[in-house]
Amino acid sequence: MSAILEIRGLTKRFGGLAAVNDVSFDVREGGISGLIGPNGAGKTTIFNLVTGVYKVTAGSIAFAGRPIADLEPYKIAAAGITRTFQNIRLFKNLSAFDNVLTACHTGAKYGLAESMLRLPRYWREEKALRAKADELLGIMGLADRRDVTANNLPYGLQRRLEITRALALGPKLLLLDEPAAGMNPDETEQLMRLIGKIRDDFRLSVLVIEHHMDLIMGVCEHIHVLNFGCTLADGSPGDVANDPKVVEAYLGSEEGKKSC
Amino acid sequence: MDAYIQGIIILTGINLLAVLGLSVLTGFTGLFSFGHAGFMAIGAYVGAIFSSKLGLPFAAAIVAAAAGAGAVSVLIGRLTLKLKGDYFCIATLGFGEAIRLILNNWKWAGGARGWDNLPASVTIWNVLIVDAIAVVLVWNLLNSRHGRNMVAVREEELAAQMAGVNVFRYKMIALFVSAALAGMAGAFMGHYMTYITPKLFNMVKSTDLTIIVIFGGLGSVSGSILGTLLLTALPEIFRAFSQWRLVFYGLAVIVIMVGRPQGLIGGMELTPAGIRKIAAERRAKSALAAAAKAAEQGGEE
Amino acid sequence: MVQFLQQLVNGLSIGSVYALMAVGYSLVYSIMNFSNFAHGAVIMLGAYFGFYSLTLLRLPFGVSFVLAAVGTGLVAVLLERLAYKPLRERRAPFLYFIITAMGASIFIENLVVATIGPTYKTYPAVFGQGPIQLGALSIGRIDLTMFVVSAISLTALMIFIDRTKMGKAIQASAYNMKASALMGINTDRVIIIVFALGGALAGVAGVLFGMKYLVYPQIGNITNKSFIAAVFGGLGSLPGALIGSVLLALIETFVSGYLSSQYRDLIGFVILIAMLVVRPTGIMGKSAEDKA
Repeated sequence: MSAILEIRGLTKRFGGLAAVNDVSFDVREGGISGLIGPNGAGKTTIFNLVTGVYKVTAGSIAFAGRPIADLEPYKIAAAGITRTFQNIRLFKNLSAFDNVLTACHTGAKYGLAESMLRLPRYWREEKALRAKADELLGIMGLADRRDVTANNLPYGLQRRLEITRALALGPKLLLLDEPAAGMNPDETEQLMRLIGKIRDDFRLSVLVIEHHMDLIMGVCEHIHVLNFGCTLADGSPGDVANDPKVVEAYLGSEEGKKSC
Repeated sequence: MDAYIQGIIILTGINLLAVLGLSVLTGFTGLFSFGHAGFMAIGAYVGAIFSSKLGLPFAAAIVAAAAGAGAVSVLIGRLTLKLKGDYFCIATLGFGEAIRLILNNWKWAGGARGWDNLPASVTIWNVLIVDAIAVVLVWNLLNSRHGRNMVAVREEELAAQMAGVNVFRYKMIALFVSAALAGMAGAFMGHYMTYITPKLFNMVKSTDLTIIVIFGGLGSVSGSILGTLLLTALPEIFRAFSQWRLVFYGLAVIVIMVGRPQGLIGGMELTPAGIRKIAAERRAKSALAAAAKAAEQGGEE
Repeated sequence: MVQFLQQLVNGLSIGSVYALMAVGYSLVYSIMNFSNFAHGAVIMLGAYFGFYSLTLLRLPFGVSFVLAAVGTGLVAVLLERLAYKPLRERRAPFLYFIITAMGASIFIENLVVATIGPTYKTYPAVFGQGPIQLGALSIGRIDLTMFVVSAISLTALMIFIDRTKMGKAIQASAYNMKASALMGINTDRVIIIVFALGGALAGVAGVLFGMKYLVYPQIGNITNKSFIAAVFGGLGSLPGALIGSVLLALIETFVSGYLSSQYRDLIGFVILIAMLVVRPTGIMGKSAEDKA
């Protein structure tokens, strides 16, 4: 399998502090990879670097063979990387349908004048967008919540809606930032199955940050472990789980600080 | 028709143009401007140049006014739209005041005394026709993928970016539309009153417009129209209380923000489709509540 | 040379009052992360409080300052409690705070217009006539008072923020509100204190402006200068607000002294736009990337 995302020597400094320090790893095309590590290890920072929210200090990020480190966030999204957020960021006052419909916009090409004058292409593409939004809500089991304002959805469904919105852009790589945060074991179990289903149905690759070890170990084919901004381990779930350095980092040994 | 009533209708119609634009900027895109009177001023003066100095027809003056204000907005937007919200606010405040001060010092255009004897080209009909066209175009724009992207920027800028929305571009479009409409309103104002002075376009005018948008409700075209009708016509009718008008405005803004941030009908539209949508949301919400209650009772057993 | 020094003196005197306004505004910004556009209305009230305590109550000059500062401090806290606190509790978006502040500003300003009236009022002459001569320089008594009172007020504020426990709590909250709350700092009280301090400084500034110019309901518009100064120095930075204010005032006085007083106000806005383009974080501001 080839790599859809190649991260090489990635470094991000805030002032003097290196939040991410010389990290390299691949996300395999069609695979589900995990990014784990204790709090403050730099996981979300890597998401922010990949999606262009932060500017890279050093190193490179290539998506499908193309460097993306200098692209603007919206271009990276349009190129096929979408994400969810650790603290859910939905369009709160819009209905579930409108959340998804908004994100479908890249599927239409009609311009400003065409929308103001409602030329034929507007009607044609708008109809297609609406059908697509409804279809996505159906696939993700949100059809009966179509008209609920995002803010009023229960927590678990908000997470699910956020994933649906990310899928609306037709991504090739989906980044999930702690999708199981605040979920009970049942919901986590459901989410695991959902992630696998999304990968198969939408034929995309997934990179997931998670603290729930069950979820990571159960769903990921490949895991990259970070600690204090540095790579600690990289390999299959079995390798990583048995790596003494990883065990140490999670048990909170002082050794972890010295390892990089 | 009674000339007095006609005057009120014309003034309301002129205000509506500016409010409509600000509704796109503030209500739908979430950008707050203290300087839109500056765009009105640019429109008024550009319009005056076209009609009075160049002797061109009123329609040309209106188009030029919109284009002039729009062009300046692109310049201002390039400089300030990448900044955080507060900086944008302060920049628009600076812009509005700077325009007024420049006009004050511009002797050729009358300086602080202003510019009079403009042709009285405004009629109730040309105002209402332009209003109708503007409402339809703005409505269509907002109810398209472009309008939805603007709302996404308002709701959650970062998430909008991650959803592939070019945030800067949509902020710019909103600013341009609002400035062009403000410019048109300025030109209408000048050719209705037949004189303009820099003082007409001060910060009070800017905030007046914003208040109408807030009063009507953020994110609602029909709210902005309703707000304009109420807040332009009412003070004219209750002239005796004119001193207290702004006291009431200020208080109303605070009360709305604290107690009813959606204004009169924020986020809703008074159209058949809009009302159906509200009804659907209500139904969905109560169904959700019922389901939650049922689940709770199930859990107790 | 004399003219240059004279402009310098005038600039410093005006700049010190700008600083009084800008520091109060920046202090609130550093904690609340929004522009309190009602700051100008509070300054205006300060000018009226000072005026009435001098004329109506016939209180001495020093007492009038304190009274005005206490009065505006209270008004600012009241504004926070009634208007901003409900928004904070609701975690309303920052746009709502700005709109509310604007509403409060319109309300206060026009309440004064409707009750007291739009007329201009003159402060009673508190000081002796004629400027103080210092060689070839002549320094107006009011200008000197402006500088001295501002310097004392700002020094007191700096000591309070640097030396007291509450001051440290303010610094911590400005750095990270959430973390401060977790560390046991009563952030609600910090907010009250910050509004009280900002309001009190505004009151003092109001009295000084009232003395220097006249008292009228729109005198608060002068806060536009402090917004510019604060952006100039770096929004949310107190030393930045101070430096920005003094620089702005110096530039203004030199422009009106050497070019034309008509361009005095314009130059401020030109600087504002230029600064936003070249260095939007201001002289002292830190560039912070939004944490996602």
